Amino acid sequence: MRDYASPGVAIVAVGAILVAGVYVLAVLDRLLGMIVAGTSIRLGALLAEPVQSGALLVLQERRTTERPDAAGWALAPALFGGLAAVALAMVPLDRDIVAADPATGFVVFSAAIAMVMIAIYLHGWSPNSAFALHGAYRYGAQALSFQIPFLLAMLATALPAESLSIVDIVDAQKSVWNVVREPAGLPLYLVVGVAVSFWGPLNLPDAADLAGGTVVEDSGLDRLLWKGARAAMLVAVAAMGAAVFLGGWWGPWLPGPAWVVLKTVALLVVLLASGHLLARVRIEQFVFVSWVLLIPLALLNVFVSGALLL
Amino acid sequence: MARAGLQLGLKQALGRVAAGAPVPVFAVAGQGAREHVQDLRLDGRLRLVDSPGAAMVLLIAGGLPDGLAEPLAHLHDSLPHPRATLWWPLGAGPATWPQQFVPTIETRDGVSETLQAIQRELLRGQRPGEPPILPDEDPVPWKGVGPYGQGGTGMTGGTPYGRPMAELGADRDGLRLDVLPLRIGPFFPRFPPGLTLDLKLAGDVIVDVAPVESPFAGAPPVGVCRAGARIFVDALSQPVPVAGLELARAREHLRWLADALVAVELGSLGSRVLRLAAELRTSDGDSIRTLGRALRRTQAIGWATNGVGRIPAAAVEGLGAGPIARAAGLPEDERTHDPAYSGLGFEPIVQRDGDAAARWRQRLGEAAQSLELAARAGDRRTVPTGSVESPRGRLDGEGNATARFLHLLPGVLQGLEWGDAVTTLVSLDLDFEEAVFAETARAGAVAS
Repeated sequence: MRDYASPGVAIVAVGAILVAGVYVLAVLDRLLGMIVAGTSIRLGALLAEPVQSGALLVLQERRTTERPDAAGWALAPALFGGLAAVALAMVPLDRDIVAADPATGFVVFSAAIAMVMIAIYLHGWSPNSAFALHGAYRYGAQALSFQIPFLLAMLATALPAESLSIVDIVDAQKSVWNVVREPAGLPLYLVVGVAVSFWGPLNLPDAADLAGGTVVEDSGLDRLLWKGARAAMLVAVAAMGAAVFLGGWWGPWLPGPAWVVLKTVALLVVLLASGHLLARVRIEQFVFVSWVLLIPLALLNVFVSGALLL
Repeated sequence: MARAGLQLGLKQALGRVAAGAPVPVFAVAGQGAREHVQDLRLDGRLRLVDSPGAAMVLLIAGGLPDGLAEPLAHLHDSLPHPRATLWWPLGAGPATWPQQFVPTIETRDGVSETLQAIQRELLRGQRPGEPPILPDEDPVPWKGVGPYGQGGTGMTGGTPYGRPMAELGADRDGLRLDVLPLRIGPFFPRFPPGLTLDLKLAGDVIVDVAPVESPFAGAPPVGVCRAGARIFVDALSQPVPVAGLELARAREHLRWLADALVAVELGSLGSRVLRLAAELRTSDGDSIRTLGRALRRTQAIGWATNGVGRIPAAAVEGLGAGPIARAAGLPEDERTHDPAYSGLGFEPIVQRDGDAAARWRQRLGEAAQSLELAARAGDRRTVPTGSVESPRGRLDGEGNATARFLHLLPGVLQGLEWGDAVTTLVSLDLDFEEAVFAETARAGAVAS
């Protein structure tokens, strides 16, 4: 029998970590943007801005369009945020600190990632708007292309542990982190991690050429929740990357949870920097690269990892 | 009662917190306002947004022709409550939009402060949000009968409910797919002000496109000229310093680049470029070369633009299409005919590929070249010949490069995916105002 926190504790803990993670992400993203833009950094304004902008969106009224699917529109951010929470719940802060440690944690996390497509399609479909629907279809093409390399990149990390439990996968990295064992795994994971949360160069569904894509019709709370859910998913992807590639809680001097937080923030910086340093990829290119390059590379990664363990 | 009081208290507390947030602004750059609106990106107190749904204030800058009044009213009504509108005339005549505005202001600092004040008042309930301008009613009666409003006679084809539905049509692969008619513009943030396209899309592929006549064309002069375009308009009729002209050209190219970077999701780098444009000096050649390296590293000149929107030299030969033609390998440049440039070592830069990446490289190369020319020009002045090489190509009494190029646009965009079409359009640097400025200058009505 594996560990599970009580439902109340798990919901509060995961919710609090997600909110804190989204705030840290917003500050980091703004900071990186200011560094690239070459503007002076005022710490007070930097720390206050996410809260202020969030409050502004809470006060703005929700907007509607002609003949929307109102239920779908309201549900989409909840589904997306829920999936981010499920994904994050699988990430252990320490061997004994984890919201849920099912024997199939890897499968639960992957299922959450796979279902993101439904949330995004629902979000794009619901407002009855051309650009929003266009963004939804783009994510369909994007998701179908990244799911396989994403799973394969993660699967290779389960081989040394001989288990699909995330706690076991982290435990197996006591002597050597997976990033050393499988050098191709982390870059692959990060590329598809950016795609999952459609951030930066792979922000195709909510892109500037669609004036915001699936989010184009959102205002007020709808916009806040959608942006929050998207950021939460990026936090979950970074946290899982820290667990399965960077040894999770393993590290000297500091307590385990501190290492998890530090490693997560480090991966977040890399993921967010891509948004300020790399141009938008064309969807056709991404689909081509995923099928022709990333899938064979991810397969090779699994084969090599398996062979080294024999 | 207690609950209502609690809600009010919470709302007031949130209002106080939110009042300090950067003001989300949807800006409409009218005639003469493009640079002013662009510079607002550098102001940390504001945030220019791409969708009216994300905005709290609608900023209308510069002069606007009558033809934009109705689309502007639609735009206004699509802002969520609480909302407000600010008119920033920038020297233009009375607004053509028949609504009352908050007191108008004319200085840049004043704009940001006023926008902040408007946001503060809206959030604290001190200013009522603006009501809709247009009636909130269906364009035609809805005749759907199903539980979700679907079905019903006359609701399954053509243009039911005043909205065209997708119909079967041929696509580029010889299949018959749904083709959706769609109008994009005139306030689409990635398009130049005034551009509207009637599209037919099969999926995200453009199967047909027709530009709608620009509302600026034929509009009465509004009496303002964009600062960056002013010297080129002046050069049509009077000698102007070559150094000033070339510095202005480099600035215009960098301003274009700042917008182009936003279109490929590199807005932070775009802000850096915008600041360089604002403070540009003839000694900044190294900064532009460094920028070129950065653009290649970020893949803005790379995977985002390589092979996109290719325009062959034969298509633009003789059009005076400036950087578009030179990026395709044609050394067409009005400066080669100007005696003021002889002895300066001026040779038009050309590329070969004619795609979006080549146009990015072309403008960057020309910006660096212009700074070198400006440094060498001393006090030379141009010789007016009735035509001048503006940053977009030949500008003369007949119009500008955009006006001459526009009929080629459908052929360039057809068959492209929407993302590539936007990349292509951005790389063309269309400008509907330039010709109007020249026309207005001839009428002697232009002010700075």
